[in-house]
Amino acid sequence: MEPGDSTKQARAAAQLRKGVLEYCVLALMRDRPRYGVELLQALEESGALATSQGTVYPLLSRLRRDDLVTTTWQESASGPPRRYYALTDSGRAALDEFTRVWPGFRDAVDTFLATPHPSTGDLA
Amino acid sequence: MKTSQDPVRDYLSAVEREASALPADRRQELVADLAEHIEVARAERPDAVIGEILAELGDPRAIAATALAESGTGPAASPAWGGSGAPARRGKVHPLVPVLLLALAQPVGMVFPDEGGSLIGGLVRITGAVLLCTSVHWTARRKIIGVLLAVVLPGVAMGVWNLSDGAPEGSGPALVANLAASALMAGTAAWLWRVRRA
Repeated sequence: MEPGDSTKQARAAAQLRKGVLEYCVLALMRDRPRYGVELLQALEESGALATSQGTVYPLLSRLRRDDLVTTTWQESASGPPRRYYALTDSGRAALDEFTRVWPGFRDAVDTFLATPHPSTGDLA
Repeated sequence: MKTSQDPVRDYLSAVEREASALPADRRQELVADLAEHIEVARAERPDAVIGEILAELGDPRAIAATALAESGTGPAASPAWGGSGAPARRGKVHPLVPVLLLALAQPVGMVFPDEGGSLIGGLVRITGAVLLCTSVHWTARRKIIGVLLAVVLPGVAMGVWNLSDGAPEGSGPALVANLAASALMAGTAAWLWRVRRA
């Protein structure tokens, strides 16, 4: 479970995270808007998707620029107002599309990783 | 090296320094987002040491590198439009520049006679197209639409006109065609200006 056992393991995890992180962030907003610190906590608790927190803000900024999320300020009972991120229609569409393709993707990878590997004869 | 008593300010200026290749507005947005995060985290965890909150945010260099990659100006961004040209300067041109070049290529070309006019107009147009494509102010789709409407379509129309007719410059129909092309490019430029992103 330790992400940093070796450089190679860290690299594999980082590559995977890079690909799926934005969809996980979108998924976190599926049911209700979330503010930044809240999103980061959820990622942190997931373990595998935990990342250097600051790198999520450039991602959120791009999602906003690409019109996948919108932001609104809301007052908080404690401390400063929070900036809440919510899905736009295109954000929801992107999430739905990812949700559709992900199982096939996951199963294909599992198949490749499974031992024994399917023999080449199966492809003929 | 300057040292201050304020670790948050030091941290944010480190991010700002590392992100110097980002367009200024992007850089300010990043720093503001991080500042906001620090404020909220501090309010929610009053017992946490500030160093802990900053450590969780991570290395300023890693954050800047991610921001560069996300904004399409970093080395990790798609190389399709940029070639090997200095990556740090990509996209930092003011969005007005490509828009104006595209809008003015045709009128500028019409000022000069014959071949010289076409050449100068063409050069201005190509420069505008290149700056448009390397800018961070438009999505790839809008860049393609802009190039199609402002460069490819008028170019094809001119080519067909010259081949089929060979009418001398300045004659009535040629003037009308030139004005129509100008209007198309000006319209495209106006649209690009409207849909640009900050």
